[in-house]
Amino acid sequence: MSSRMEFWLIAVLLTFAATLAVLLPLTRRRAADAADGRYDIEVYRDQMREVEADAGRGLIDPQSAEQARAEIARRMLKAERDAELSGLKLRSVKGARWIVLLAVLSVPLISWSLYAMTGSPDMPAQPLAERMTRNPADGSVGELIARAEAHLAQNPDDGQGWDVLAPVYLRLGRPEDAVNAYRNAIRLQGETAERALGLGEALATVAGGTITRDAQAMFERAAALDPRDIRPRFMIARALMQEGKNDEAAGLLQSFLDGAPAEAPWRNRLETAIAEIRNRNAAVASNGPDQGDVDAVAKMSAEDRDAMINSMVASLDERLKQNPDDIEGWKRLVRSYLILNRRDDALAALKRGNDAVAEEKRGDLVAFAKGLGLELTEAKPLEP
Amino acid sequence: MTVEIGQFALVLALALSLVQSILPVAGARWRNAPMMDVAVPTAFAVFALIALSFALLVHAYVVSDFSVLNVVENSHSQKPLLYKVTGVWGNHEGSMLLWVLILSFFGALVAFFGDNLPPVLKANVLAVHGWIATAFLLFIVATSNPFARVSPAPMEGQDLNPILQDIGLAIHPPLLYLGYVGFSVCFSFAVAALIEGRIDAAWARWVRPWTLTAWMFLTGGIAMGSYWAYYELGWGGWWFWDPVENASFMPWLAGTALLHSALVMEKRSALKIWTVLLALLTFSLSLLGTFLVRSGVLTSVHTFATDPGRGLFILGILTLFIGGSLALFAFRAQSLSSGGLFQPISREGALVFNNLFLTTATATVLVGTLYPLLLEALTGDKISVGAPFFNMTFGPLMIPLLAAVPFGPLLAWKRGDLLGVAQRLMTAFALALLAVAFILYRTSAGEVLAAFGIGLAVWVMAGSLTDLALKAGIGKVSAATALARLMGLPRSVFGTALAHFGLGVTLLGIVSVSTFGTEQVLGMKPGDVVPVAGYQLRYDGLTPATGPNYTDNEGRFVLLDSAARPVDTIIAAKRFYPARRMPTTEAGIVTHGVNQFYVSLGDDLADGGIVVRIWWKPFVTLIWLGALAMMAGGFISLLDRRLRIGAPAKVKTPRARQAEASA
Repeated sequence: MSSRMEFWLIAVLLTFAATLAVLLPLTRRRAADAADGRYDIEVYRDQMREVEADAGRGLIDPQSAEQARAEIARRMLKAERDAELSGLKLRSVKGARWIVLLAVLSVPLISWSLYAMTGSPDMPAQPLAERMTRNPADGSVGELIARAEAHLAQNPDDGQGWDVLAPVYLRLGRPEDAVNAYRNAIRLQGETAERALGLGEALATVAGGTITRDAQAMFERAAALDPRDIRPRFMIARALMQEGKNDEAAGLLQSFLDGAPAEAPWRNRLETAIAEIRNRNAAVASNGPDQGDVDAVAKMSAEDRDAMINSMVASLDERLKQNPDDIEGWKRLVRSYLILNRRDDALAALKRGNDAVAEEKRGDLVAFAKGLGLELTEAKPLEP
Repeated sequence: MTVEIGQFALVLALALSLVQSILPVAGARWRNAPMMDVAVPTAFAVFALIALSFALLVHAYVVSDFSVLNVVENSHSQKPLLYKVTGVWGNHEGSMLLWVLILSFFGALVAFFGDNLPPVLKANVLAVHGWIATAFLLFIVATSNPFARVSPAPMEGQDLNPILQDIGLAIHPPLLYLGYVGFSVCFSFAVAALIEGRIDAAWARWVRPWTLTAWMFLTGGIAMGSYWAYYELGWGGWWFWDPVENASFMPWLAGTALLHSALVMEKRSALKIWTVLLALLTFSLSLLGTFLVRSGVLTSVHTFATDPGRGLFILGILTLFIGGSLALFAFRAQSLSSGGLFQPISREGALVFNNLFLTTATATVLVGTLYPLLLEALTGDKISVGAPFFNMTFGPLMIPLLAAVPFGPLLAWKRGDLLGVAQRLMTAFALALLAVAFILYRTSAGEVLAAFGIGLAVWVMAGSLTDLALKAGIGKVSAATALARLMGLPRSVFGTALAHFGLGVTLLGIVSVSTFGTEQVLGMKPGDVVPVAGYQLRYDGLTPATGPNYTDNEGRFVLLDSAARPVDTIIAAKRFYPARRMPTTEAGIVTHGVNQFYVSLGDDLADGGIVVRIWWKPFVTLIWLGALAMMAGGFISLLDRRLRIGAPAKVKTPRARQAEASA
């Protein structure tokens, strides 16, 4: 039996029982009650016994006991009289039957309509333990994380678990948890460049994107642990630029570039970045507008905004003419033209890019363009 | 499915309460026995349904069913089991459900023990009780549904307010609600009597056990709340004249007055109108407390709901019940006959004196609590009415009342002999004077007020023992006879003596701790030693630790005696609850006899030290031990077999049979 069926069955049974509670006394044949005064007399009798007991124990003197007896006796007499009177009051009423019927019917009617307004009969109960035993593959990311958290709450020394969870937290925008997880992973599994970098990023995210002293220290540790990794150096450069030390930042990246192998895939990008830092003195190490630029754009009028975007696209176009072997740059240029509704320019850029980049990367670029609804064949047939 | 059954049981209870509200009272009007009889089974069924609903909500908390909004908002899967359960009433919706659960429990108790009640009275009482239940169930279903669902269900809850994660939450609210709601029975009895326009000494006899029960629980609830605030909030105080505390204190004062006036009404058939009014007022003050706490008018740890819609709903209920019952009272009061006469100097007179002062004190607290709220609502000015106001007004009112306590039980009914009673209290008076002299001597007459406060406490305590000694005839008869007579005394005599004794004990604690207690606030570094009340307190530093759902820093202190031997270790902690991102302080308390050392941690200092607050609290536990004695007194009185009254045998008269057939 499904749990829904069970629910309705129990609901019906409860309603039935509740209705019976109203119905039964109404249909029962019973002995009539004693008149109200009889109950009072019972109380007075009890008080009388109490006075006798107190008098017997010597708690009250004989005179007060006599007075109390007289007073209680007067009350009893009055109650006797009332009992006679109230006995006469019993009578029947015409409308009673209808009221009774209405009352009995009101129990199911009111309860079911109220439930219809407030209940959710189709929602099963979802105890946490039961949800945890379901097949993980069916679960959402949230469920998987909760499962991992439950596991780690039981086994807080499982370093691998923390290691897996930490980057997930970072990506899901839970940087505080990411910091905690990275710290645990480092404590249990030892420090690696990857973990130090992640912790630094998490710390910076907690600080709202500012690279704090703690975060910078972590990036420096990561850089020391892996002398060939570009990422921590980018972050350190950003930290330097944050302090206004653009030249130092460019110098740091330059010296890394000088020591880097000639075939490194990011060489061009890095060169561009260094050039940008040197040129604009205000640009950021990554190839894009920083938060300040974006905010500025948001405040501009529509014309100004278009002008600025056009100028940025033009500068990108210009840069690709200097350094044509940059597939990411070409992709961005194609997309930018499309966004600006300059389809022809987009096609032209795609062609130029296709010619410029290394042969093994062409497929990637064409596929990217196709994803945006742009076919290279519109201009030129693909080379076999 | 279980969650939905809980929801269904709740609305079914509402439907059934409505029937309980209407049929019996109509039956009582028409003297229709079967209709009146509906009251008893419906009272049982409403209780069973609310209990089922409550149990299913508890179940949802225990299994962390995060498809229930209330569980998400107030629980966490890693929370210890006890706090999962107590968290059910650590929030607005759940605590309202507990409120109606206790309400329906009292309804069921009246139905169960009601065989000795006249049928018309019983039907009316249960119907009035049904009105209250209907109003509050409607409030819950309409504005505060504890079974509201969320889909998709989150994987983790938001945890309970860390301040509430304490054993105190398991004890304080249930006791307090048993007290608050217990007075609803007295209210129902009063309204039922007014409906019939018939009230007499027997009425008081039936109401007394309910008053006593409610009073006992309210005493315990307030004392527990006070002790909880004392150790949890880390301020070292045990009473703040906070509006929420006052909200519970006002029904206690009025309930204490009711307890005493019901006695006069039962024994002497006097003070009827007054007693009925007190019964109405006591529960009205309970309702007022509920309104103040729930409406968002006040802000404190008790403020769960700040939704103005809910506030208006409760204000409506409040107006309906308080206004309605007082209107009924105004309409019917003159039809109640007045009872026995008495001289001013008599037991009755003493109890009137008691009522006079208690109700004035209640009014004082009411003014002090509501005046700032009304002023703010009308003019926007924020003023704070704090301890100075209450110390100036409430304090002086209590002095004559406490001074009179030993006289009351010794005075005779109707006509008392004040001089004779005063002579018999000579020993108690001598003891009190001795205490005053002792304190004056020890403080070189520096603490005159405290000396008199302690003298008053000794007077109340010795006076209540005098009552027992006189009733047993100690000094007049042989020791064996006296013992036999003592054992043979009715339990209510012991109850009275114990409750009055407890009052003295509490007073002794209050005066001692506020006069002789010491407080130090200082920065300490590990290894520092500071003298406290003849001992040396050494700070050993902070140690980090991890709890189930919090992390904490435990500050370790060692108490050294004069010979530098360690006597005790005190752990005070600062906790952090990540789910709510909330820090709390856990005071470190060590009890020596009835005295306490109380240590609480403050902010970290730049030099590696920490701010430490250290209190020495002499006799502090007497405050709550006295309250426990009062509770025990109430309980012993309740056990008095004289409160059990038999029911008259049912009769079968031809007239009754006829009435039955026509129903």
